Amino acid sequence: MVKKELIRRSPLRGLEKSLKQPLQKGEIAVVASPKGIGKTGCLVHIATDSLLQEKQVIHVSFSTRTDHIISWYEDIFKEVARKLSSAMEVHEEIIKHRVIMSFNQEGVKTQQIIRSLTAMIRDGNFKADLIIVDGYNFYLATPEDLRLIKEFAKEMGVTIWFSATVKPENEKIWNRDVPPSLKSFEDLIDVLITLGESEGNILIRLVKDRESYPRKDLSVRLDPKTLMIVEEKK
Amino acid sequence: MMDISKMRNIGISAHIDSGKTTLTERILYYCDKIHMIHEVKGKDGRGATMDYMELERERGITITSASTNVTWKDHTINIIDTPGHVDFTIEVERSLRVLDGAILVLCSVGGVQSQSITVDRQLRRYNVPFVAFINKLDRTGANPYKVKEQIRDKLGHNAVLVQIPIGLEDKFQGVVDLIQMKALFFEGANGEHVVEREIPVELKAEAEKRREELIDAASLFSDELAEAFLEGAETEAQIYAAIRKGVLTRKLIPVFMGSAYKNKGVQPLLDGVIHYLPNPSEVRNTALDLNDGEKEVELRSDPREPLVALAFKLEEGQYGQLTYIRIYQGMLRKGDELYNPRLRRKFKVGRLIRMHAHEMEDITEAVCGDIVALFGIDCASGDTFCSPGINYSMTSMYIPAPVISLAVFPKDKTSADQMAKALGRFTKEDPTFHTYVDPESNQTIIQGMGELHLDVYIERMKREYRAEVETGMPQVAYRETITQRADFDYTHKKQTGGAGQFGRVAGYMEPCEDKEYEFVNMIKGGVIPNEFIPSCDKGFQAARMKGTLIGFPVVNIRCVINDGSTHPVDSSDIAFQQAAIGAFRQAYEKAKPVILEPIMKVTVEGPSEFQGNIFGSLNQRRGIIVSSTEENNFCRIEAEVPLSEMFGYSTVLRSLTQGKAEFSMEFLKYGRVPNAIGEELKKAYQEKRRKEQK
Repeated sequence: MVKKELIRRSPLRGLEKSLKQPLQKGEIAVVASPKGIGKTGCLVHIATDSLLQEKQVIHVSFSTRTDHIISWYEDIFKEVARKLSSAMEVHEEIIKHRVIMSFNQEGVKTQQIIRSLTAMIRDGNFKADLIIVDGYNFYLATPEDLRLIKEFAKEMGVTIWFSATVKPENEKIWNRDVPPSLKSFEDLIDVLITLGESEGNILIRLVKDRESYPRKDLSVRLDPKTLMIVEEKK
Repeated sequence: MMDISKMRNIGISAHIDSGKTTLTERILYYCDKIHMIHEVKGKDGRGATMDYMELERERGITITSASTNVTWKDHTINIIDTPGHVDFTIEVERSLRVLDGAILVLCSVGGVQSQSITVDRQLRRYNVPFVAFINKLDRTGANPYKVKEQIRDKLGHNAVLVQIPIGLEDKFQGVVDLIQMKALFFEGANGEHVVEREIPVELKAEAEKRREELIDAASLFSDELAEAFLEGAETEAQIYAAIRKGVLTRKLIPVFMGSAYKNKGVQPLLDGVIHYLPNPSEVRNTALDLNDGEKEVELRSDPREPLVALAFKLEEGQYGQLTYIRIYQGMLRKGDELYNPRLRRKFKVGRLIRMHAHEMEDITEAVCGDIVALFGIDCASGDTFCSPGINYSMTSMYIPAPVISLAVFPKDKTSADQMAKALGRFTKEDPTFHTYVDPESNQTIIQGMGELHLDVYIERMKREYRAEVETGMPQVAYRETITQRADFDYTHKKQTGGAGQFGRVAGYMEPCEDKEYEFVNMIKGGVIPNEFIPSCDKGFQAARMKGTLIGFPVVNIRCVINDGSTHPVDSSDIAFQQAAIGAFRQAYEKAKPVILEPIMKVTVEGPSEFQGNIFGSLNQRRGIIVSSTEENNFCRIEAEVPLSEMFGYSTVLRSLTQGKAEFSMEFLKYGRVPNAIGEELKKAYQEKRRKEQK
């Protein structure tokens, strides 16, 4: 299969179709779930899909070991590219379009993250289209922080995907509502999806899509093995 | 005879400037071998005992590894001083090969830095058990707790404190031993008296807490300790034994601390070496039996077995060549006859020597596990010596191929002679250093692992051999390769009186991912007689040594022959070689050849404020930034950058960051050169050829 076909057939097109329109530059999307459901896999899949489309991606993480993140990408690429004819070359190519930036979670200020991202985009001449921010601590952040990030996204013309870990015990995320910990950020988030386990399946729920609140399960879900987005089995 | 369980062969591995040389020197001092302490850059003009080369003294770094023998509490310790700079990795690797254990030295301020990561990777490759020593606790900003966490996070080791500091920075006084639960102070003019006292009251609670952490971690390696601990009846011996088990399997890293410069914490570290690091019989070593198809055989730490030893280091001393050897099996006596399988030659052991820093002691025998030196033996480093009757070779050491070359021109006849002598010596000492005379330009070319690597040898030529040399521009070791299959059918015919030449070969060439070169013979029915098949192989190999794009070797290529013809009289070895060369050239252009260049893995570390400058500098050098990690206003950036762009980077980086950032690099892979640059290279090559032809 050639790359174009692979992109066209990607289950991520299903996710895009569920939205009013695909995510735009300057928009912020969030995937929220309790720990260990599959947010990272989901985001790496989204990033890989963008990389295949020759977009540039910065992956921001808060773990000190970048090799773990790289192996996430390796694994998901392997899955995605199984049917690809020129996998080796494509792999070479996409590595060039991906940068991993990691910060020590403790005490890192949002301004500092923005400063570093700006340095990468401007000084490093890395024209990012998509930024993945995996593991951003929404419990410690303030709406002002997210507002700064949104401003930055608009200025640089990038789309930003966040993952947010929510604590299941005090957050009723199963009623397809905005998790309480994200309530104060609600206006700044353009698209919000949540992941929830149900009978061995990981369902993807579209909670917020710009002005509207569809609160529906999508036709795509997360494969519990690979933690990648897949079409629902018919 | 020496008791093997009381023997230790250790290395001291560290990041440059983490105080390794000072530590080594203090160890020698406390072991009563030297009587005055010199600093690395001592004012009295004498450097520390271990790094005795003049050049090293000037640069304040240690380049050659010397083995030194010391005694600590009736244990014999051989210390291999390993170089800290990454450009000399082969020296580190060679030392690691002969070590049984190591001390990883880290700076309490700088913590785990890029070179620490490189060194850690090397320890891992050779599976060397180690303990950690956090040095420079007297420095401003010292934080051993943070460094311990970095060993866990950045290096992924199960590090646990066996000591905690008493005071830090200018108030650093001593350490609390968490096993004996005693405060240790270091008194006397040079800290030679270790004084035990009660733990200061304000540290009691912290010490209890850390001791519990330590025993929790150690208990995983001993049920006996775990049970005793539950009953509150654990003994020191149980804790030592449990930690030792963890260390030997590299699953637990005890962390020591102190300040070598202030003479604090060195003696307990030596105790730790004895407690936790393996003796030679606890390490599995193997050799290859050359009489049995290179079958792997396990060596036994038994003096009664035949001798097997490895020459790991050559040095030109005042009295001739000194060969450092590590004995793995058997026993060596003065006057013994040994066999060198590589040279297939026997030789006699004249003088047997034990090295103490810069003095030597003549000895009459040495047993397995020991490191000693021989005088006046003709060999190369990496050679195996064994008792006559066996034909073993120690596993070949991992030797990376050189990535950079430089032309050297002697200024006069005397320098030329001296240079030849020096080069002969260096290539014997260092397997990553190569030299040859380019047949076309008639220039002497030296090759190595990086700019600094070659610089050091140029300097040594000047200083030690008084050879005045000038150097050309550094050259990158490019490669060529093909990207698609192409057929050939070539007839070599020559009839100009006398015997003619005739050979025809047909087949194809194609890319071959996993091998540098492969030759496949698919000739059927003897259209090319068997005797001429190797001639074809030879011809292809000759042709591939010089690609037609820019004259560099062609790699990752498979040549397949499936047809051909022969002439009863005119066919010969030469004729088929020529036919293969012709065939190669015929197909090469059609196979869409491209140029490859060495890509280095570059790690830059510096304060976050310079992040933008560093990103920019890497981007300008065609670098791909792989990752950037930020912590406490310090960032570490990993990138893949073509070697050709890295010349002079240290100067650039220094000026961009006010000297606050540093970088290390190592060879990663060969990557395709971008078209525009490839075209330039081709043009330059054609230009050069045109000039040479004139």
